[in-house]
Amino acid sequence: MIYRVSHTTTYEYGAPVLIGQNLVHLTPRTSTHQSCLHQRLLIEPVPGLTSARHDYFGNPATFFAIQEPHRKMIVTAESVVDVKRFVPHDAAGKQPWEQVRDRVANDRGPLMLDAYQFVFDSRYIQCSSDLASYAAPSFAAGRPLLEAVMDLTRRIHSDFQYDQQATTLATPLCDVLTNRRGVCQDFAHLQIGCLRSMGVPARYVSGYLRTRPNPGRPPTVGAHASHAWLSVSCAEFGWIDVDPTNNLIPSDTHITLAWGRDYDDVSPIKGVILGGGHHTVAVAVDVVEQ
Amino acid sequence: MTSLPRTDVAAAGSPFQHYPRTGSYDEMLDERGDLRSHWRPFVHALETLGLSELTRRWEEAKHLIREDRVTYNAHADPIGSDRPWELDPIPVVVSLADGQAIEAGLIQRARLLEHVLADLYGPQELVREGLLPPEVIFDNPGFLRPCHGLRIPANRYLHLYAADIGRSADGQFWVIADRAQAPSGAGYALENRIVLARTLPDVFRDCQVQRLALFFRSVRETLSQLAPHNRDNPRIVLLTPGPSHDTYFEHAYLARYLGFTLVEGGDLTVRDNRVFLKLLGGLQPVDVILHRLDDSLCDPLELRSDSIQGVPGLVQSIWAGNVAVANPLGSGFIESPALMPLLPKLCERLLDEPLKMPSVPTWWCGDERSREHVLSHLHRMIIKPAMPCDKIAPIFGESLSADQRDTLAGQIRARPRAFVGQEQLGLSTTPALIGSQIQSRHLLVRAFLTASNDSFSVMPGGLARVSATCDTLVVSHRTGGGSKDTWVLSPGRVSTFTLLRPTVQPVELSRGGGDLPSRAADNLYWLGRYVERAEGAVRLLRGILVRLTEKSGVAEVPELTTLLRALTYQGNTLPGFVGEGAEARLAAPEQELLSLVFDGTRAGSLKATCAALQAVAGMVRDRLSVDTWRVLINLELPPNADRRRPDRQARTQTAAFSADYASTNSRTLSRVLALLDQMVIKLAAFGGLAMESMTRLQGWRFLDMGRRLERSYHTISLLAHTLVSAQPSEGPLLEAVLEIADSSMTYRRRYLSNLHPAPVLDLLLADESNPRSLAFQLVALSEHVENLPRESVPSRSPEERIVLSSLTAVRLADAELLATTDSASVRPHLRDLLSRLEADIPVLSDTITTGYLSHVQLPRQLGTQSLDRFQ
Repeated sequence: MIYRVSHTTTYEYGAPVLIGQNLVHLTPRTSTHQSCLHQRLLIEPVPGLTSARHDYFGNPATFFAIQEPHRKMIVTAESVVDVKRFVPHDAAGKQPWEQVRDRVANDRGPLMLDAYQFVFDSRYIQCSSDLASYAAPSFAAGRPLLEAVMDLTRRIHSDFQYDQQATTLATPLCDVLTNRRGVCQDFAHLQIGCLRSMGVPARYVSGYLRTRPNPGRPPTVGAHASHAWLSVSCAEFGWIDVDPTNNLIPSDTHITLAWGRDYDDVSPIKGVILGGGHHTVAVAVDVVEQ
Repeated sequence: MTSLPRTDVAAAGSPFQHYPRTGSYDEMLDERGDLRSHWRPFVHALETLGLSELTRRWEEAKHLIREDRVTYNAHADPIGSDRPWELDPIPVVVSLADGQAIEAGLIQRARLLEHVLADLYGPQELVREGLLPPEVIFDNPGFLRPCHGLRIPANRYLHLYAADIGRSADGQFWVIADRAQAPSGAGYALENRIVLARTLPDVFRDCQVQRLALFFRSVRETLSQLAPHNRDNPRIVLLTPGPSHDTYFEHAYLARYLGFTLVEGGDLTVRDNRVFLKLLGGLQPVDVILHRLDDSLCDPLELRSDSIQGVPGLVQSIWAGNVAVANPLGSGFIESPALMPLLPKLCERLLDEPLKMPSVPTWWCGDERSREHVLSHLHRMIIKPAMPCDKIAPIFGESLSADQRDTLAGQIRARPRAFVGQEQLGLSTTPALIGSQIQSRHLLVRAFLTASNDSFSVMPGGLARVSATCDTLVVSHRTGGGSKDTWVLSPGRVSTFTLLRPTVQPVELSRGGGDLPSRAADNLYWLGRYVERAEGAVRLLRGILVRLTEKSGVAEVPELTTLLRALTYQGNTLPGFVGEGAEARLAAPEQELLSLVFDGTRAGSLKATCAALQAVAGMVRDRLSVDTWRVLINLELPPNADRRRPDRQARTQTAAFSADYASTNSRTLSRVLALLDQMVIKLAAFGGLAMESMTRLQGWRFLDMGRRLERSYHTISLLAHTLVSAQPSEGPLLEAVLEIADSSMTYRRRYLSNLHPAPVLDLLLADESNPRSLAFQLVALSEHVENLPRESVPSRSPEERIVLSSLTAVRLADAELLATTDSASVRPHLRDLLSRLEADIPVLSDTITTGYLSHVQLPRQLGTQSLDRFQ
């Protein structure tokens, strides 16, 4: 499936910003079942400096700086992405979850080390006994990993309510667990925290979700923001994506931008400004099938 | 050395006769109680000097230290106030052999740690080979992922490295901690050395002590060579978290000694992938940053986003290769105690040789067997965080109750990876001067290394720290321990190199001085304002107190009421002698006057002004000469009794006043008067130093502009509130005004004793030769604003226009006309002129601050809103 994605973020400032430095993760990364055919970044005002590189996790990242005073910044990322239908390897999810946990912790091969790094605490996700207790009912001894993970996914989906007003980026995971409300990012963080608390590596995935148009009607435009889900390590069988917000395993409906330990590693736009006063942000995402 | 007589330190009369023997290794005495030979020259010199002379000289030295404000803001100190650095005059003497062993051991260790860092930020083979547990990397806040893959020239990760070392009972040295992240202490070691060499010059010379200056020259050369651009004359800055930081004094001290610009994050900005210093005259590129911020705080964009002290875009400019950072960001990883047990194997693998100096036995609890060992020996372990993290104090197992030990064991079992257990080393003892006795204290030395060519050089010395008592093995400034100088004896002739002398390399002559950060200009400007504000207040207060003490009451001195009211207006300390309840206060002004001097909580009081002055001076400490700094420190008014420890040293003459004021209520106005007299002289000393010792560059210009503006304001305010309304018999008032404005002598010489308002106004307003007159201030300001850095514009700048217009108004004013009164006994011309000028001055101040200082984005630590009258 080929998608055309347009992602526009508009910042309006109450006072002039003298200088703004930004680091964005807006270029879809290439992976086993996804390739980015075309990508461009349009920034207004035109940055004095733009520099592209790859971050520690292999995601494409772009640094740019706007060095003239401005009251408004518009960042538009356009990309054309080819997403293949993802079918997990037969054996991937069949291993007992403890086997994956132990394998990853003890093998020093590059593949296992790459997975193992996603067991540890990160800025927004700290393991806890509360998270482990919440996860425990899904993780009976010897249960196949994928079964356990999907059971957990189903429970999060039914126990938690999607509520845009309930949380902010600063809401700690323990509050999300207590209040049972949040958005996709909270649910992704929560499930990652549960998995890591059980010793299972999980990484945060930032990207977009296809918005399926109703038959006979034009595609929904500008109604969606970026999406977040997670990916679970199946040791040597690679990774399987899981979307707790929609209770499913993404196939070709999810377009991956970047992955990392949590939101902090891969937030679509991160910036530091001098001046600016009070500011507002508006985000518009269009995902159209080609 | 051998010709010295054998000394019996236990002999009666020897300063060391009460020096106790303990079971520990003693640095000075061998196991039989005999003096170790390398201590002989020092002990001999000390015996010649005598304990009482040592104590006497030390009292003097302590005064110097206090003035230098060698301070250490201990975290646990709830007041957070400056605490004098506890230094004692007995150095630790290190033998040549020990010095060489330490040198070899630490150079090897530093090389090893650089290899570890090169692997971590590069291929990460050590993990795959099983030499480094992955948890030590992945679960380590010291590993900065955004810095992975950054190319570091020649893999030099440790331009500066420090190790805390201690000595066990068998004489063996052990490394207790590694420091790579802004290793502090080198500046304190230098300060200790300078104080000690000054206190005991003869002893120091006789002992042939190796000098420290060569080490600091290496530091400077190493950092200069890092510069990606301008390697001949690179701009090196020392990035500090700011005056509120623990070791800010050291940052300022080192910056001055090494000739680097001291900056805070807000002084730097990144444009086009280059780091720039925001100077008054524009942006200047920075080539090398020596940072004293924790690695993760250096860039809020790519590292910790909650950092407000860093430089956004710094990591990007390092990627672009346009700036060098020492140490490279992420080097703090090697501070992880979890690495210590791994070093012997890593050393064999990476350097192909055995580790020379062992780490104190350390067990990382992430390893199961090590964890069990720690848990079963908890009573004699020191438990520390396994990774470098926010200062968590080590826990001493021996000091815990059984319950506490169980709790700790539970915490370790819950998060084993986060802890190490370290064997408690039975640190060696060394003599220390405690009061007037020499006692023994446990010793820990921080040694410093700097990268030099393709190896390292070691500071011949170090920061020695001692325990607070001889019973505790805890050596920490936070728990009240002290520090010492470390003397490493020289093998031959001592190099007398000093950094204060010209170096071999020719330096391009420069008379520039554009290197004034806007933030420093701002602080100097306010320093000028506060100094003058203090002087204005002191002069007016003194004028009032003189009259009050000479006469028996207010009624006898009719001009007093006017002066008291002027005082309230001047400091904006309403109600005071003007607002509600003024009548009662005018009748008995003593209480209010004392409050205006001593009440530091009151905005506009002399004490509050002095505190603001010192705070702002502290922020530009690196730009003031030592003498100027001394004058400012001595401006301290009586401290609040509750804030200070009852230290005899601190109970200066002035302290007695506040005690009187606070407790006995005996209003010894005449003693306050003496205090004010002293302050006038100290403030004059400051003015003199600024005039005579500061180069006429932008820094001085801003300081002086601050003073001129404030003095203009004071003169206007004084005249407006004394002479606008004419009094029936004005003689005494005119005399008081002249005296307060320090112009009586000039007046008498010109007019003898004929006191008339017109000549007084002429002298204080229009006479451009009188340094106290308003015209004089405006002429000076006019010269300053003309010379401010600016793009060349043909027309006059706004600030030039304001000054010129005020100056013209003063020049055109007719003194006789100003002195004339109307039917209501008011001088309307004077009133109009003064109110116009009073409106102009704040506009001028605003124009200067917005024009030159507005991009100062840091929170300014000045007094409260009401103090910033013009803002």
